[in-house]
Amino acid sequence: MTSNPPNVYLPDMATIVEVVQETPAIKTFRVVLNSEERMQAFNFEPGQVGQLSVLGVGESTFVINSPPTRKDYLQFSVMKVGELTSRLHRLKAGDQIGVRAPLGNAFPYESMKGKNIVFIGGGIGMAPLRTLLLFMLDNRADYGDITLLYGARSPRDMAYGYEVEEWLQRKDMRTVLTVDNGTPEWKHKVGLIPNILREINPSPENTVAVTCGPPIMIKFTVQALQELGFDDEQVVTTLEKRMKCGVGICGRCNMGTSYVCKDGPVYTLAQLKQLPNEM
Amino acid sequence: MSTVRFLKARDIAPWLEELSRDFTVLAPAQHGSSIVFREFDPARGIELSQLSTTPAKRALLPPCETLFEYETTKTLEPPYKTSIELKPTLPEGKSVVFGARPCDARAMQIFDRVYNGDQVKDPYYTARRDNATIVTLACSEQEEACFCDRVGGSPVDATGSDILLTPLKAGYVAEALTPKGEKLLKSTSFMKAEGLRQEALNSRNRILEQVPERSSFLDMERNLLSLFGDLGFWDKTAEACLSCGACTYLCPTCYCFNITDETRGESGRRIRTWDNCMSSQFTLEGSGHNPRPSKAHRMRNRIGHKFSYYPQLHDKTLACVGCGRCVSNCPVSFDIRNAVACAIQQAGAIQEQAHD
Amino acid sequence: MVQHTQELRKLIAQALPELDVVLAWTSGSNQLASAPLFITAEDDLDKLDFGPMHVQNLAAYLPSLKGRKVGIVTRGCDSRTIIELLQEKLINRDEITIFGIPCTGAVNIRKVREAADGQRLRSVEAGKDIVSVTTDEGVRTIPMQDVLMEKCYNCPSQTPLIHDHMVTERNGCHMTGEAPESTLDKLDAMEPDARFAFWEESMDRCIRCYACRNACPLCVCKDSCVAQSRDPHWVDLSDNPREKLMFQAIHALHTAGRCTECGECERACPMGIPILAMKQALNRRIKHLFDYEAGMDMENTPPLFMFRQQEEHIKERDAR
Repeated sequence: MTSNPPNVYLPDMATIVEVVQETPAIKTFRVVLNSEERMQAFNFEPGQVGQLSVLGVGESTFVINSPPTRKDYLQFSVMKVGELTSRLHRLKAGDQIGVRAPLGNAFPYESMKGKNIVFIGGGIGMAPLRTLLLFMLDNRADYGDITLLYGARSPRDMAYGYEVEEWLQRKDMRTVLTVDNGTPEWKHKVGLIPNILREINPSPENTVAVTCGPPIMIKFTVQALQELGFDDEQVVTTLEKRMKCGVGICGRCNMGTSYVCKDGPVYTLAQLKQLPNEM
Repeated sequence: MSTVRFLKARDIAPWLEELSRDFTVLAPAQHGSSIVFREFDPARGIELSQLSTTPAKRALLPPCETLFEYETTKTLEPPYKTSIELKPTLPEGKSVVFGARPCDARAMQIFDRVYNGDQVKDPYYTARRDNATIVTLACSEQEEACFCDRVGGSPVDATGSDILLTPLKAGYVAEALTPKGEKLLKSTSFMKAEGLRQEALNSRNRILEQVPERSSFLDMERNLLSLFGDLGFWDKTAEACLSCGACTYLCPTCYCFNITDETRGESGRRIRTWDNCMSSQFTLEGSGHNPRPSKAHRMRNRIGHKFSYYPQLHDKTLACVGCGRCVSNCPVSFDIRNAVACAIQQAGAIQEQAHD
Repeated sequence: MVQHTQELRKLIAQALPELDVVLAWTSGSNQLASAPLFITAEDDLDKLDFGPMHVQNLAAYLPSLKGRKVGIVTRGCDSRTIIELLQEKLINRDEITIFGIPCTGAVNIRKVREAADGQRLRSVEAGKDIVSVTTDEGVRTIPMQDVLMEKCYNCPSQTPLIHDHMVTERNGCHMTGEAPESTLDKLDAMEPDARFAFWEESMDRCIRCYACRNACPLCVCKDSCVAQSRDPHWVDLSDNPREKLMFQAIHALHTAGRCTECGECERACPMGIPILAMKQALNRRIKHLFDYEAGMDMENTPPLFMFRQQEEHIKERDAR
């Protein structure tokens, strides 16, 4: 099933319908494809990504972080780090943007059915986890216990505040928040994600851990998961790379034989260990 | 049986002139101290005496290609709506590549597996490919840096060609290998020469006999994987490398590209241009993080891609055709043949240790 | 030459225990080109070789090795690069051990090719005053004088201007007679239109590999180079000679008064574009305006690195 235009390089033009300032550095863009027909036909799976274009500046890759179960708009969260993301941050509702999506693979949400899920997200790394989390909450009966460990540098760097409150209230999931630097008002944990993970001490029994965040956080989180007894097959992550073509040709996002844009961005730790370490 | 014709050396230029009416003809020509593939110009002539400095790949993958044009319009009255129109610009017209070498033609099949694969079809590439006819000139001998024989090719290999030219005295025996090739041989520039088929074959066999016996780089793709973790090996291999792109841009099989927007006023084009995996900027992310931060990482990827990754993905075919352009043009004389031979030896040693 | 190589090996072997790496040359696998040699162990010394065919300016590696103890085999011209790098504080003198060698000139392989009438070169051997070239048609000899690198014809010093160790000097540079006509000479004789046409034509074959930039010892902003920077967006990536020339113009301006004319840019260019001429032209201006030559004196400051209210050779106030 593909909803790409036949020309894989040609974006769909889309309109930004809403911009949410998540944190000082992160904005969320809700976009709708200009072609009603294309929007209707748009299908994707949680974890897939898209290339956003600002014409004249270029393209960059972002995960579609709204779940396929909610399709009024496609949501992308963008942290301001470079030239393109800075230009994206200047866009407002009503502005035009190019979208090439969906690209890449998805989280193995089918094989996760019936299992307990531990989400471990750091900073902007929460974006892809949000997609899967909302998808699972929309199909709650299919999955076992759900735990979310979400960390950010400080309370104001925590995105999706409006949903985090709701997640904290929910009885059918456990939500743990942590920041590296607390404030007097902060009621949750203070500490690095891997350490808090050890504290939570999730059982690896019939469980899949899904993690995303900066490369250094992933590295230490994976170490902690291994200490907790998680097998390589039980650890799933999604990677971010510099991409251009998005279809496995242009050659910059590969790790050995695997092209993150096409074969990824979602990998199990077992898969990653077969590839050269180029995270 | 395919058509065989004879082309006198002095009839080449008139034939190319004739072709230029219906095709864009690319042929090697002297340009300063280099020989480059460029649009045939009778005034510049052609240069077939040596392997060209640049490969023939630009026929299918030009150094710069427009993917689409865009134009922004803004309404002058509130609520000031902006709209952007995209116009894809697929390449049109037919082309002939004249004087490609067997390595150049083989390289094009290496692109095919990537750009015209089962899952993804690159519309720009496939348009150029479908409309290109490749006229290959069999080599009379191997040059100093040539090693096509070690990577699955040969100086007279016809893989990927539509017509194979075999040099004989005073001209070339032309054999059509595809319907596209057959069509071109209909020109009156050619003489009937069915009888020369055997003579051409004999000549090619004589050239093959001169190819030295030397170790092959085939079937090593999985062995090389054991060197993934040995960054020290790659550090040593890459120590003199300047991280420039001479090797990649002159490589007939290197196909990585960049995509950028070039704007003038309210309109512009999204273009793709050759890119270079040896540059640190190739993988540098907006955040400043770089998954291939050192020359060693990049060298591992370049050699890995050609001799391990690509063959694993594509029926053991190496993504190197052994033209030697990277060897003879490297400012610091990096020799990929030595590097691969060393890697194979080192990988072998690692595996032996593992068995002990 | 053999005797000199032995002496050099001995000098390096003695110093090697104190050094992380010594930069030298070896004869490349290809008969036509030398390669840099990174010596870290005494075994590596067997591969060391030097002579007119060993051409790379090894000083280009020094900035990237800053912080390590580095030995470097150095000719007169290379020492100018080292002085320039020291002036710009891109390297530290106390981290560098200079093994000076007397130079007898360096061969420009492109000129050898031209002298061999485009015949395919099988091997090239540099003798005392001649180069023996083996082509498909046999062996022929070319006077060394005709095929030297551009910088050799105006060489101010065969031996390094600074050094820590020195291989015994000997006389006899191959540069004896008149220099052949240079690209700059040819350009000087042209009208501006013809000159621009020359560059448009030459840059047309540029493949944008940036070997010129990466081989340049003084190109030190590689990671934020205007060639790739999109913000500012100074150079368009279209395959257009004017854009390519734009980069060369910026490169030449960035190295004006710093460039020691070592010629690595031109030597590294796989397409044989004579880009050294641009740097020579700018350096000629610098010489005229500031009476300054790069890399000659460690105590001096490159003229474009400082500001004087009144330059001695620029009489703008008088003109007013």
